[in-house]
Amino acid sequence: MSTERDSETTFDEDSQPNDEVVPYSDDETEDELDDQGSTVEPEQNRVNREAEENQEPFRKECTWQVKANDRKYHGQPHFMNTKFFCIKKSKYANNAIKTYKYNALTFIPMNLFEQFKRSANIYFLVLLILQAIPQISTLAWYTTLVPLLLVLGVTAIKDLVDDVARHKMDKEINNRTCEVIKDGRFKVAKWKDIQVGDVIRLKKNDFVPADILLLSSSEPNSLCYVETAELDGETNLKFKMSLEITDQYLQREDTLATFDGLVECEEPNNRLDKFTGTLFWRNTSFPLDADKILLRGCVIRNTDFCHGLVIFAGADTKIMKNSGKTRFKRTKIDYLMNYMVYTIFVVLSLLSAGLAIGHAYWEAQVGNYSWYLYDGEDFTPSYRGFLNFWGYIIVLNTMVPISLYVSVEVIRLGQSHFINWDLQMYYAEKDTPAKARTTTLNEQLGQIHYIFSDKTGTLTQNIMTFKKCCINGQIYGDHRDASQHNHNKIEQVDFSWNTYADGKLAFYDHYLIEQIQSGKEPEVRQFFFLLAVCHTVMVDRIDGQLNYQAASPDEGALVNAARNFGFAFLARTQNTITISELGTERTYNVLAILDFNSDRKRMSIIVRTPEGNIRLYCKGADTVIYERLHRMNPTKQETQDALDLLGATAIEDKLQDGVPETISKLAKADIKIWVLTGDKKETAENIGFACELLTEDTTICYGEDINSLLHARMENQRNRGGVYAKFAPPVQERFFPPGGNRALIITGSWLNEILLEKKTKRSKILKLKFPRTEEERRMRTQSKRRLEAKKEQQQKNFVDLACECSAVICCRVTPKQKAMVVDLVKRYKKAITLAIGDGANDVNMIKTAHIGVGISGQEGMQAVMSSDYSFAQFRYLQRLLLVHGRWSYIRMCKFLRYFFYKNFAFTLVHFWYSFFNGYSAQTAYEDWFITLYNVLYSSLPVLLMGLLDQDVSDKLSLRFPGLYIVGQRDLLFNYKRFFVSLLHGVLTSMILFFIPLGAYLQTVGQDGEAPSDYQSFAVTIASALVITVNFQIGLDTSYWTFVNAFSIFGSIALYFGIMFDFHSAGIHVLFPSIFQFTGTASNALRQPYIWLTIILTVAVCLLPVVAIRFLSMTIWPSESDKVYRI
Amino acid sequence: MEETPQHCLSRLPDNSALKQQELPAHRLYFTARRVLFVFFTTGIFCLCMGIILILSARSTQEIEINYTRICANCAKLRENASNFDKECTCSIPFYLSGKMMGNVYMYYKLYGFYQNLYRYVRSRSNRQLVGKDVKAVEDCAPFKMSDNKTPIVPCGAIANSMFNDTIILSHNINSSVQIKVPMLKSGLTWWTDKYVKFQNPSSKNLADEFRGTTKPPNWPKPIYDLDKKDPRNNGFLNDDFIVWMRAAAFPTFKKLYGRLNRTHHFIEGLPAGNYSFNITYNFPVTRFQGEKSVVLSTLTWCGGNSLFLGLAYTVTGAITWLASFAMMAIHITLKNKQMSFFHQ
Repeated sequence: MSTERDSETTFDEDSQPNDEVVPYSDDETEDELDDQGSTVEPEQNRVNREAEENQEPFRKECTWQVKANDRKYHGQPHFMNTKFFCIKKSKYANNAIKTYKYNALTFIPMNLFEQFKRSANIYFLVLLILQAIPQISTLAWYTTLVPLLLVLGVTAIKDLVDDVARHKMDKEINNRTCEVIKDGRFKVAKWKDIQVGDVIRLKKNDFVPADILLLSSSEPNSLCYVETAELDGETNLKFKMSLEITDQYLQREDTLATFDGLVECEEPNNRLDKFTGTLFWRNTSFPLDADKILLRGCVIRNTDFCHGLVIFAGADTKIMKNSGKTRFKRTKIDYLMNYMVYTIFVVLSLLSAGLAIGHAYWEAQVGNYSWYLYDGEDFTPSYRGFLNFWGYIIVLNTMVPISLYVSVEVIRLGQSHFINWDLQMYYAEKDTPAKARTTTLNEQLGQIHYIFSDKTGTLTQNIMTFKKCCINGQIYGDHRDASQHNHNKIEQVDFSWNTYADGKLAFYDHYLIEQIQSGKEPEVRQFFFLLAVCHTVMVDRIDGQLNYQAASPDEGALVNAARNFGFAFLARTQNTITISELGTERTYNVLAILDFNSDRKRMSIIVRTPEGNIRLYCKGADTVIYERLHRMNPTKQETQDALDLLGATAIEDKLQDGVPETISKLAKADIKIWVLTGDKKETAENIGFACELLTEDTTICYGEDINSLLHARMENQRNRGGVYAKFAPPVQERFFPPGGNRALIITGSWLNEILLEKKTKRSKILKLKFPRTEEERRMRTQSKRRLEAKKEQQQKNFVDLACECSAVICCRVTPKQKAMVVDLVKRYKKAITLAIGDGANDVNMIKTAHIGVGISGQEGMQAVMSSDYSFAQFRYLQRLLLVHGRWSYIRMCKFLRYFFYKNFAFTLVHFWYSFFNGYSAQTAYEDWFITLYNVLYSSLPVLLMGLLDQDVSDKLSLRFPGLYIVGQRDLLFNYKRFFVSLLHGVLTSMILFFIPLGAYLQTVGQDGEAPSDYQSFAVTIASALVITVNFQIGLDTSYWTFVNAFSIFGSIALYFGIMFDFHSAGIHVLFPSIFQFTGTASNALRQPYIWLTIILTVAVCLLPVVAIRFLSMTIWPSESDKVYRI
Repeated sequence: MEETPQHCLSRLPDNSALKQQELPAHRLYFTARRVLFVFFTTGIFCLCMGIILILSARSTQEIEINYTRICANCAKLRENASNFDKECTCSIPFYLSGKMMGNVYMYYKLYGFYQNLYRYVRSRSNRQLVGKDVKAVEDCAPFKMSDNKTPIVPCGAIANSMFNDTIILSHNINSSVQIKVPMLKSGLTWWTDKYVKFQNPSSKNLADEFRGTTKPPNWPKPIYDLDKKDPRNNGFLNDDFIVWMRAAAFPTFKKLYGRLNRTHHFIEGLPAGNYSFNITYNFPVTRFQGEKSVVLSTLTWCGGNSLFLGLAYTVTGAITWLASFAMMAIHITLKNKQMSFFHQ
C-alpha cells in the first residue's frame, strides 16, 4: 500500500518549481534517456561497476576493429556477415556509396514491386487477373490495362528521373580522387576504391571522403580546421586535433606507410558528435574521442594538408547513417480519402452482390426458358449469379477511381512548385526562395489550428548587436557625451582611432570611449579584455580585414564589440591567444578552456599573461554566474568560485519585419499561436508584448495560477467518479469565465510539474525493485495504470485550459518539452499543428508537428533539413497559410468531390442498365470509352482546376483572414460532402440513363434504319456523359483561365475525335474484333433526335446544379461569396 | 539592401503569370442576372422544342398488330422443337381507317427478347462477317463448330437465333381482289454495315467460298441461299441478316423489315382500306413469355411517333420557367431585406 500512496501523492510534497532553470538537459536522444531511466541505480553500484569495467582490457561494445595499412585484416572470416543463404560479406563497407535505387536491370521489376505495394494498384492488378478469367470477364482486357499502365508509367517516369539524378550524383562523388598509401607511397585513388584501414592524405579545400582518424597535419600540433556545412549547416570553422604521438611520429610518407596501429571503436552509428575508441600502437593504448575524427562531408580549411586513417567508409559513415528514412507524414485528407475509397469498395461489393442475386433470379425465371440464350454450359442459375458477381466487380470497378492517387500527387507537386516559385516569399537579401521540401502536405496548410513558434531567429532576426553594458555598477550605452551629459541627438561614436574597428557598430555613449582611453577604471579595460579572450571564435583575414567566425551569434557580437572598443582578438593557436590591446599586441598562454554547453551555460578560460600571472575568466548566463559569485561549490566547479564580477552585457536581437502584423492576421484566421522558447520568463514576456501577442488588456496567468485551477478541476473530477469515469459525459465547463483576453505564460519546470512528468521517472526507479509476490505485482500494475490514467486526465485538462487562452508562451523549455507540448495538443485537441523554428533545438518539435516549417536563418540548416517547408522570414508564414494553404485545401477538396462525382456518374449507368439486360453485366458503353474516360476525356480539366483554381484572389485572402476558417473546420471535404457528391453522381447517372432510355424505347431513326440499337444507345449516353461532366467542371471552376477553357472544350473535342476515329471504316477492316462500333458515331450522330436527347440530358443534369448553387449563394452565402460581393 | 546586384539573385523565381498564379482569368460568379437569363432562355427553348416535337410526332401514323395470341396455334406448334419442318401460316386481317401518306416502313417488334444479354451480344465473329476469313469462329461459343467439326457460318448465338418469320402485307381491294403490297428489301441497313462491316468473301460463286462450313443449327438453309435472286442481298450482305445482327439495346425492340415500294397503286403511300398480314410463323417466343408484333409506320424528321422527347422537353421547359420565377422571387425578397438591413 505504501508504494501506491507514494506514486499517487502529487503536488504537495514537492517544493515550487524554479522558473529560472531549464528542467533537464536533453542533449541525449530519446533512447539514451530511456536507457538511463531503466538503469538508474544507486550511486555506489555504478561507481563499482565502472571500476570493474575499467579493469577489463577493452570495453564490450568496441567491436569495430581497424588495422592501418592492412587490407587483408578486414577480410578475416570473423568479420564476415552472412547476407543471403551462404553469400558472406565483410561487415566493413567499401567507400563507394549507392544512393540510387535501381539499375538498368532491376528498374522494371523493383519499381513495379514498389508501386504494387500501394493497395490501389494491387486492386487494379487483381481486377486485371479477374478479367483474364473467361467465365467472368465482362470487359475487354484493355479497359483496365491501359489506365493502369498509364498510372504506373507516370509514376515510373517520375521515379526514373529521380534515380538518374541520383546515379549521376553518385558517380560524380565516387569518382572524386584523393591520395592513398599503396605499396608504401601516396598514390591518387578514386573515392570508391578507398577501404577501411587506408591511410590517406587530404589537401586544403578537399572534401573528406570517409570518417577518418586525424593522424597528423601541416599545422602545429597537427591541428586541422574543418567546415561542417554539409553535416549540420554550420559555416563556422571547427578545429580537430590529432593525438600527440601520431603528431610526433606520423608526419612523413615513409612512417605513414609503415604505420600499423589498431583502432578499436564502437560500431557505426549516426551520432555526429560522439565517438569512443582506442588506438593500440607501439604496445600502448591511446583513448580516442570525436575531436580526433574528421567526418565524411566536411571540408578541410586553412590547413595545407593532413593525414588520416579511414575508420568508417561508405555506407558506414556517420553522414550516410544519418540520411536514413524520414518519417512519412500524411495529411488529414489522405486518411479521409482512404476511408472513402474503402467505403466505395464496400458499396461496390454490395451492388455487385445485389445484381448477382438479381441475375440468379432472372436466369431461373427467364433465362432458363430462352432458347436463344443457350450457351452450351450446364450452369445452375445460382452459379451463374456467382460468376456474375465477379463480372459486376469488373464492370463497376471504375467506381474506385484508378487515377485518383496519381492525380492527387500531380496536383500536390504542382502546388509545391507554386510555393517554390512565389516571388512574394522570396527573400532577396539572402537570395532565399521559399521551398516546399515535402510535396505531400500542401492542403494541410489550409487547415492549421495551432502554430508553435520558436522565438530566437524565428520571431527575431537573430542578428545580435551590442547595445549596452554595465561595468562596475555603471551602465554604458545611452546617448550621452564624454562628460556624462545625456543628449537626445548625438552622433555615433567615432571608432577611427582604432585600426581594427569594422565600422559597423552603432554606439552613442561617448563616455565609455572616454573611460577606455583614459584608463581611469581598470575594470572597463578588464571587461573588454575578457570579451576578447574568453570565447571559441575562429579568425581569419580576408584582404587584411579580420573576419570572425563564431558558433553562436551572441558570442560573435561580444567579440566584435571588444574589437571595436580596442581589444581586437587577432589570432589563436592551440595554446595561445593574441590580442591587440589598444594597439599593443600581446600573446597569452591558454592553460585551459572549458567550453560552453547548454548544461553549464557558461564558458571559462584560464590564461597566463606574458608577465606570468594566471587568470581565470568566465562568462555565461546571468543566473549561473550570479550563483557562482557567492556560493562555494565542493565539486568540479572549485576553480570557478571566488570570482569577481566585471560586468554585464546587453545584446539586442530585433524582431523581424512584419511579425506583429503576421501574428495578428493569423490570430484573425482563428489560428492560435504558442511561443515556445528557451529564454527566461521576462524576455519571453517582453517579446510577447513586442509582437503584439500580449496586449495591455491581456490577463496573464502563470504556472502557479493554473496549477491551482487544474488541481481544483482534478479534485472535482475525482469526486465525480474518479479518473475511471470515462463513460461519464465529458465536462464542458470552462476554466475561465468567458470573454476577456487571457494569456498563459508557463515555464518548463511548471510544465513538468503540472504534467506529472517527473513522476514517471520516479516510477521507473520503483520498477527496478523486483516485485516479490503475485499480489504485489498486480497491485503495482494497477497503481501504474491508475497513475497513467491520472496523468492523461491531467494532460487533457491542461490542454483544455491552455486552449482557452488566446496566447500561450512557454519559456525555459527544452527541445524535448517543445515536442511534448506539440504532441499534447495534437493528441488531445485532434487539431492540425504547425511548428516553426530555425535552430537545432526546434528539430524535435518540427518533426512532431503535422507540418514543420524551418526558417533558414543564422543558426545553420538543421531545422530546415528536418522541415517540410522552409523560407527566410517569419512573415511569409501568412502567405504560406492564408494563400497557398487555403488555395491548396480548396483545390484539393473541389478536386476530390468532383472526382468521386464523375466516377459515380459514369459507372452507375451500368447499374441502371442492368435492370434491362437481365443483370448480365452488359456494359452501357463501348469498351474503348471505358478505357479512355478516366484517362483522356475527363482528367485534364479537373487536374487544371486542382492546380489553378482560386475562389478569391491572394490579396483578398490576405485581407480577410476569416476566409481561412473553412479549412480548419473541414467544411469543404468531409463525409457529408462526400455523400453529397456521391448522391450527385447517382442522380446524374440516373438522368444519363433514363432520358435516353425513354427516347429509345419508342423511337426510330428518321430514315427508319436501326432504331434503338445497343451501339447507338451507348454512344448517346457516352456523349451526354462527356459533355455533362466537362460542363460540370466548368461550373465548379471559379477561376477560368484560357487553359481551363481550352482543356474543357479540348476534352469534349478529343472525345468526339477519338470516337469518330475508332468508329471509322479503316480501323474496322484492320482489327474487326477490337473495334466493333464501326459507323455508330457517324450514323447515330446524324440523327436529330439523338442530339435532342443529348441536349436534354445535359440540360437536366446541369440546370439543377446552377439553381442550387445560385440559391445557396443567395440564401446562405459562404464567407468567400460575401467577400467577393464587396 | 537595394544595392544588391541583380546577378547575385541566382535563385530568384521567374516573374511569369503562370508561376505567380496570376494568369488572366474570368471569375465565374453566379449573378442573379446571368442565372435568370440562362434559365429563361433555356425554358423558352425547351418549351418550343417540346411543342414542335409533340406536333411532329402526332403527324405520323403507326399501326401495331401483336400476332402472338392471334396465331396461337402456330405458337403452340413452335413450342415443340421437333416440329421445325412443319410449316405454319397465319393471316391477320385489319382495316386501315385513314391512308398512310409518304414513306411507309414495316417493322417486326419483339417483346421480352434479351438481345442485349452479355453472353449473347458477344457471341459473334466480326472477323468472319467482314469476309476475310470465313472460318474465324473464335468468339462464337457455343455455336463455333458443328458436330462434325466444321466451322459454322455465320457463327454465334446472334446469327443462330435470327428472326425467320416471313411477313407479307396484302391489300384487299374488295373481297376477291387481293394485291400484294410491294416491299423493298434494300436500304434497311446503315451504309457502313452493308459496305464495311459485312462483306462476302468474293462475289463470284458464294457456295464455293463457303465450302467446308456448316449452316447454323437453327437455320433451314445455308447463308449463301438467303436470297438466290439478288446476289447483292445474299450471303453476309443480306439486309435481314445485317439488321438482325445489329443487337438491340433493350429487351423490347423493333427492327426494320421492309420499305414500301411507292409504285402504281401505292405511289402516295398506303391507301385506306382492308389489309392483311400473311405470316409464315417460324420464330418461337412463347416459351420465354415473349411476344411478336408487326408495325407499320410513317416517319418525320425526328423519327417515329414517340411522344417521350416532346413531353420531356415540355415538362423540362415548364419546370425551368417555374424555377426561374421562384428564384427571381427569392432573389428580390432577399435583396430587399439586405437593402433594408443596410439602410438601418
